[in-house]
Amino acid sequence: MSLIHQRWLAEQLPAWEREGILTTDGARRLRERYAAEPQGGLAQMVVGAVGALLIGTGLIAVLAYNWDDFPRWVRLMLALGPLAASQAVSWWVLQKGEAAKPWQREAAALVQTLAAGAALALVSQIYNLPGKWTDLVFWWCVVSVPLAWVLRSQAVAIAYLIGIAIWTVAQVTGRGFGFSGEGADVRLWYPLLLAGILPLWPGPELRERPASGSRLVLVATALLGLFAVAAFAADRPAFWLTMLSAAAVLLFPLDRHGIAEPLARKPQVLLGGLALVVMALIATYEDPARHLVKSVGFSLPLAWCWLLLAVVAGFAVLAFRQGRFAVLAVAGLAVVPLLAAPLSGKDTSGWPVAIIYSFVLLATAIALIALEFLGRQGAARIGAALITLLVILRMADADVSLLVKGLAFIVIGVGFLGFNIFISRRRAALPGGPSA
Amino acid sequence: MRPALAVFAVAVAAQWLLPLAGIWQHERVIARGTTVRLECMAPDPYDPLRGRYLAVRPAEGRVPKPEGMVGRDAVPVWATLEAGDDGLSRIKSLSLEPVSGSTVIRLVAKWPRWGGQTSPETVFVEWPFDRLYLNERLAPDADKLVTERFREGQDRPVAEVRLLDGRAVLTDVLVDGVSIREIVKQRAN
Repeated sequence: MSLIHQRWLAEQLPAWEREGILTTDGARRLRERYAAEPQGGLAQMVVGAVGALLIGTGLIAVLAYNWDDFPRWVRLMLALGPLAASQAVSWWVLQKGEAAKPWQREAAALVQTLAAGAALALVSQIYNLPGKWTDLVFWWCVVSVPLAWVLRSQAVAIAYLIGIAIWTVAQVTGRGFGFSGEGADVRLWYPLLLAGILPLWPGPELRERPASGSRLVLVATALLGLFAVAAFAADRPAFWLTMLSAAAVLLFPLDRHGIAEPLARKPQVLLGGLALVVMALIATYEDPARHLVKSVGFSLPLAWCWLLLAVVAGFAVLAFRQGRFAVLAVAGLAVVPLLAAPLSGKDTSGWPVAIIYSFVLLATAIALIALEFLGRQGAARIGAALITLLVILRMADADVSLLVKGLAFIVIGVGFLGFNIFISRRRAALPGGPSA
Repeated sequence: MRPALAVFAVAVAAQWLLPLAGIWQHERVIARGTTVRLECMAPDPYDPLRGRYLAVRPAEGRVPKPEGMVGRDAVPVWATLEAGDDGLSRIKSLSLEPVSGSTVIRLVAKWPRWGGQTSPETVFVEWPFDRLYLNERLAPDADKLVTERFREGQDRPVAEVRLLDGRAVLTDVLVDGVSIREIVKQRAN
């Protein structure tokens, strides 16, 4: 059920209870099953965040001008004054407790976060401190994340997630490959920093869920951070570890309500699956396939690899028990290199693995379609799109005339559109049927 | 006190502690430190959070390996500086153990990144300062001034640094003994 429908249902329930259409218990069950996120003045929250962002960034820009003519103590006052003022405002908002409006919490937290960043940057500027700007981002994140917890600020949480991902990527790109011993060990730091969001989501009572946009940022930054950690752990670009990281995100356990949500509201499935499928499609070519198998060889001795394997295996067992066969089918793409590695000798061609990947992708696509027809949670359209993409890629490689390729593309396009129309009609005929 | 207020108080304290610790540490060095001058090289890059700066790199970047340094990891070393007849300070000695003195500075020594030497004769040193922040209006002129001097083979700019207990604060960059800030300000007017 879409968010709009869930909100509509939430609005109707009190009237249905009053009119005796539903019992109190029935209404409670419906509320639990189709829990609508409170709108909480979403527009107000956005307005609060945008206003705070404008004030805060303006403040930083004005202060960062580097007022050469002011003595040091005046510049320090300019750096620390806004911080003190923003802290006083946040204190006032916090004292109001539940009476504080969402936009007030959001604006106060964001302005204070920006003021803290400005203070750190300016002190660093005034004393000509060395170091990368991303190190400053690290400290900024550390001192700001408590504001996301106590003021329940989505904007600060988003900024924190982006900040820690940027810092993690910088640790890997900054040190370069083949030169261990420099930069923070992000294998420890990134998971620790990511755990910093737990007091907000799911919170102490394990009830809070990020809003749609925040979920997307959470997943996108987690993927980016984990990819960076994979490269750090292997001390080089590690194709297979990247696939395992994407599989771990894709299989992230969900509760019953989470599973029932549409794909659009599950960015971990969408982005994790997309990353895996794209990497698998790349691996259908000889050169990337060879590198992929090679990456299995240098990844297996790493502790990070075994940790990822354990996480993926654990999540896969849970997913199997919950009947999430579609995500299991896609996650299976990450296991192919491990199974194919013993079949490929050292320095041999990548063709066997590339061909295996083409067939596995085809099997995955068929599984996604079949699951939907079997009444399970599948993704027939995505399966059809995957088959279409595979055929297009193979046709593009094929040594046939342009005329044949053109005709083949027309046939594939017509078939794809026809299948979509068929699926749409089938879903329309099955009210409440499984979502994609 | 509610838990949220306690967490907020900790965050507020951390937001003050971090800049104040930096201010205290660096003010102490500026107020009580010994001034040394180091010959350096300097172009004009940009920091997205802190603005334009003049990159300051002391000319002494590669020095004889300190006695007892083994392994490829970067290690802290304590350098004792000595002023020459020209007024510029240079590294007199390097120690892996902390040493005291008014012209001692803590550096980081690293083996050459590439080359695969099993035991190099010289190591790179990383200085605890690498930039002088400048007003964005003045920074391009300062950069131009430094580039011109390099091209014409004139004396290199000199970093003025205060030292205290091994810590260093870069206070200015001088060209012919005059602050680069003053020179570019005069040029702009």
